[in-house]
Amino acid sequence: MSEIHLKINDREVTTQSGQTVLEAAKSAGVEIPVLCHHPALSNWGACRMCVVEVEGMRTLQTACTLPATEGMVVKTHTEQTFDIRKFVLELLFSERNHYCMYCQMSGDCELQDQAYGHGLDHWTYPRPYEKQEVDATRKYFIMDHNRCILCSRCVRACTEIAANHTLGLRNRGAQTMISADLNVPFGASSCVECGTCLQVCPTGALIDARSAYGGREKDVTHTQTTCMQCSVGCDLDVVTRYNRLLRVDGVWDSAPNGGLLCVDGRFTPLYETRKRVVKPLVRKDGKLTESSWEEALGLVADTLKGSTCQGLAACATTNEALAAFAGLMTQLGGQAGRLEPVAPALGYGVPATVADVLDADFIIVAGAQPLEYQRVVGYFIHRAADKGATVAVIGDSENALNKRAALSVASAQAGVVAQAAADAEKIVLVYSVGIKPEVVAALKPLGDKVSFLALDPARNGKGAEAAGLKPQSPTKTDVAYILLGEQPVADALRVPAGFKVVQTAYHSALTEQADVVLPTPLWYERSGHVTTLDGVDKSLQTVLPAPADVRDESVVLAQLTALLRS
Amino acid sequence: MIRATILVSGDPQSLSRGAEEVKLAIEAELSFYGLANEIEVGFGGGVTRVDVLPTVSIYPEGVIYGPVKPADGAFIVEEHLYKGRVVEHLLLPTDALVSGQLASLPAGKEGKQYAEKRVLLRRVGVVDPYSIEDYVAHDGYFALGQALTTMTPTEVMNVVRESGLQGRGGAGFPTGLKWSFVASRAEETKYIVCNADESEPGTFKDRMILEGDPHAVLEGMALAGYAVGAHEGWIYIRGEYVLSKERLEQAIRQAEELGVLGDDIMGSGFSFHIHVHAGAGAYICGEETALLESMEGKRGTPRIRPPYPTVNGYRGLPTVVNNVETLANVPPIVLNGAAWYRTLGTKRSPGTKLYSVMGDVNITGLIEVPMGITLREVVDIYAGGMKAGKTFKCAQTGGASGSIIPAALLDIPMDFASMAEQGASLGSGALLICGDDTDIVDLAYTLVRFFKTESCGKCVPCRVGTAQMLEALDRLRQGYARAADLARLEQIAGYAREASFCGLGQAAPVPILSGLRFFREEFEARLRA
Repeated sequence: MSEIHLKINDREVTTQSGQTVLEAAKSAGVEIPVLCHHPALSNWGACRMCVVEVEGMRTLQTACTLPATEGMVVKTHTEQTFDIRKFVLELLFSERNHYCMYCQMSGDCELQDQAYGHGLDHWTYPRPYEKQEVDATRKYFIMDHNRCILCSRCVRACTEIAANHTLGLRNRGAQTMISADLNVPFGASSCVECGTCLQVCPTGALIDARSAYGGREKDVTHTQTTCMQCSVGCDLDVVTRYNRLLRVDGVWDSAPNGGLLCVDGRFTPLYETRKRVVKPLVRKDGKLTESSWEEALGLVADTLKGSTCQGLAACATTNEALAAFAGLMTQLGGQAGRLEPVAPALGYGVPATVADVLDADFIIVAGAQPLEYQRVVGYFIHRAADKGATVAVIGDSENALNKRAALSVASAQAGVVAQAAADAEKIVLVYSVGIKPEVVAALKPLGDKVSFLALDPARNGKGAEAAGLKPQSPTKTDVAYILLGEQPVADALRVPAGFKVVQTAYHSALTEQADVVLPTPLWYERSGHVTTLDGVDKSLQTVLPAPADVRDESVVLAQLTALLRS
Repeated sequence: MIRATILVSGDPQSLSRGAEEVKLAIEAELSFYGLANEIEVGFGGGVTRVDVLPTVSIYPEGVIYGPVKPADGAFIVEEHLYKGRVVEHLLLPTDALVSGQLASLPAGKEGKQYAEKRVLLRRVGVVDPYSIEDYVAHDGYFALGQALTTMTPTEVMNVVRESGLQGRGGAGFPTGLKWSFVASRAEETKYIVCNADESEPGTFKDRMILEGDPHAVLEGMALAGYAVGAHEGWIYIRGEYVLSKERLEQAIRQAEELGVLGDDIMGSGFSFHIHVHAGAGAYICGEETALLESMEGKRGTPRIRPPYPTVNGYRGLPTVVNNVETLANVPPIVLNGAAWYRTLGTKRSPGTKLYSVMGDVNITGLIEVPMGITLREVVDIYAGGMKAGKTFKCAQTGGASGSIIPAALLDIPMDFASMAEQGASLGSGALLICGDDTDIVDLAYTLVRFFKTESCGKCVPCRVGTAQMLEALDRLRQGYARAADLARLEQIAGYAREASFCGLGQAAPVPILSGLRFFREEFEARLRA
């Protein structure tokens, strides 16, 4: 990287080589209008809003695509550039239905902002547009082609960030349309509902079904927290208004996900249908009955005293709670473990981060289903495959990654993969609990050339590891203390203990068996820390307050510890 | 024992004029006379002049008849091949085809090259395009052999550079300079791409070369590959050019069998492979970066430039993209030298140029003339003058993306630089000659409608601008437009020319702008009072 000096609007600007004129201008505090450009996406140069005059160049240049070079003299705001920008906006307003007052983006729309900024006070051109269909076939979002300006940000997001290639452009010229797959309804397409397209749309064309008309940017509150839906640990930007969750956005410059979320991070928690536990419940006459915290905790403490006890955690809670849980169980002389299995240690290789997947040239996926359970890792594998990495899947069941895999073999043939990977430069092994011992053995010849990413099936598995919790199955003890959080459980889970305490946010098959049920906060009501796959401790911020009778596990466990001491 | 060969012109023009029937008639007559075993019949390329098609050439005499009807075909067999008498009344002046002199031309005046000069077309209509032996017999692959055995890659590049050859796709960029950009790149893999996506309306020069002399293009590509260090070439051919594609693929097979393409060509150690990639009917894919996108299997939309294809071309590697006509110029240049090439054409634009002549003239078709002749010479001499009762009003050059040229510019020499000085462009070499009954507003409407249909839809000024220009022109034609509407049309056209992403969008407003420049009164006459 070398320094480059150029002149923008008669001011000397210093920037790095490789920067575009747009970036150089931005660093110097000069805002150049853009529509199709988005900093998280590749440059496109199609809307022509960012045209600038460059000395010595015959035609106007788009600042978003033009590399800054030494000695360049740029004028960003001239009469000519203003006229062209206004012309572009007038054309866009003539192309489709842009009656702003009926649009949920009004007030936050980039097209509308630019129109105000360029003094559009009437329709200059006739509007011979045809009415376009609204595609509402997806549950979480709607595509209204009438408001689309064909900037292709969504297409690039789908291609470059999610690497899912669902969105594209079809037809040409004035007939150009955003299209899902080969022009099928969105709901019937290969879309994985990561919602990245939604987040980059500059107008009201891609509509979030939940937050539409729910409040403009000036009305809402943004809180950054960490996703607790799986072990990856993505950063979330949670949008709320009137104590209600409106929307979840990705955070562009964050690790490991860089703005990319999955359906479980962005949408499903906002559409939760399970019945919430909001008060402590105690079984009386065979029925769970609401009680006070004092009564419930008193009963638990009394039962625990002098009994054999097993603690089982679903690892769907904070590091603080897991540590307190492990501490309490040890104090009681009981055993403490986790409900979820854990991926075995390999005995060779070096640990990888999630980001390492992106620049691997050979990715081995063994006994793991990242596209199902740690989706962002799955999308990262797709991205690496798009860049030319070889993907090899080892496993004995159907894997969604097979579609993009160059090689897909059963566990018994894992040696084939080891051979194929022998000449690769950067090998990343993504594996999970499904990896068979023979696969571990077959890949051993690759040795320390392998960077491995062990996908923990539990939401905060790394936190559980730090707390010393290892997998256990329910055993016959006097008391079972189960820390469930938001984790759903299988109907078939049977706990043989005589007395069962379940600390959970939702009613489930397990609460049906429980003697005491204690409410826990939801992911957006928590504070504390979780540890991500990369081993980074990330904090949780309280986005909304928990209901009055809901207490955090760590608080409850501390209270219980105190009661047992007394 | 074959004693004679008959070639019936087999280009689409000839086929539409009954060439198939002529061939059948000849074959039937040959069987009737029991000559089928000693005389072979095949299709050849067209001779480029539409009014004499279809033609029948008989070798070894080199007698060419045209235009031939099916009944004439039978007569020719009886007279010429059975009785041994030339059919005088069907004869085409052989000079026109072989020596490059149209019989009807007046004697050249001093200092001017009047005669049609055949460099690129010298074999078209003369050789069997399905026969590599025919090509070799007419100096084919001599240039490649000479280059591989006696010249270094740099020498080949320098010959082309010194010849002053300019890209014939329309922009006129110096070919040798483009090659040197790619030659100087350090990447191991480089590509030669032949742009045969000839989609400019009214342009059929590349097709005539591909159909009549496919090996010339292959040889040009191999020479380009040798010069810049590329070992793979792609021909991106317009999807509708089914016949060209078939002949190219056949030519590639033959050349590989003969060892003039493929691995270790002529034992020189140089390898060069050529593949054919068919387009799917999009005008924009003739734009070189959209062409590369399309070749990579993506949507055909232009790429951001810089980086140019010479740096970031096919699959992101350095790539030479040359037009068919440009590449066909390369073998004669290498064979005869840069000095010879500079004797043709003008100082600033050496060589010959193919023009496809259409419109209100007596002779339409393809001509090859030295660069720098004037439009008046084309119309009066080669095209046989305007049709009876019509006078010249304007010419539309370069297909849709060229410009409208009024009578005042009839005497401007046609080469890249001189045309540019007049604010016009030579473009692809299509010449639509319009008589005085041509309506300029209608002409502009037709051209803009073409661009509206063919816009790729990527950038706003082209996608929406063409629709708005068409709308405004339509209102003008219907008689609803007022002076303010015309002013706005001119404004959109100006902005769209200024702000569009690629050449297509920048060319789309040109019919309006040049129409207004030279024939404003016709636009104003359509305004509502």
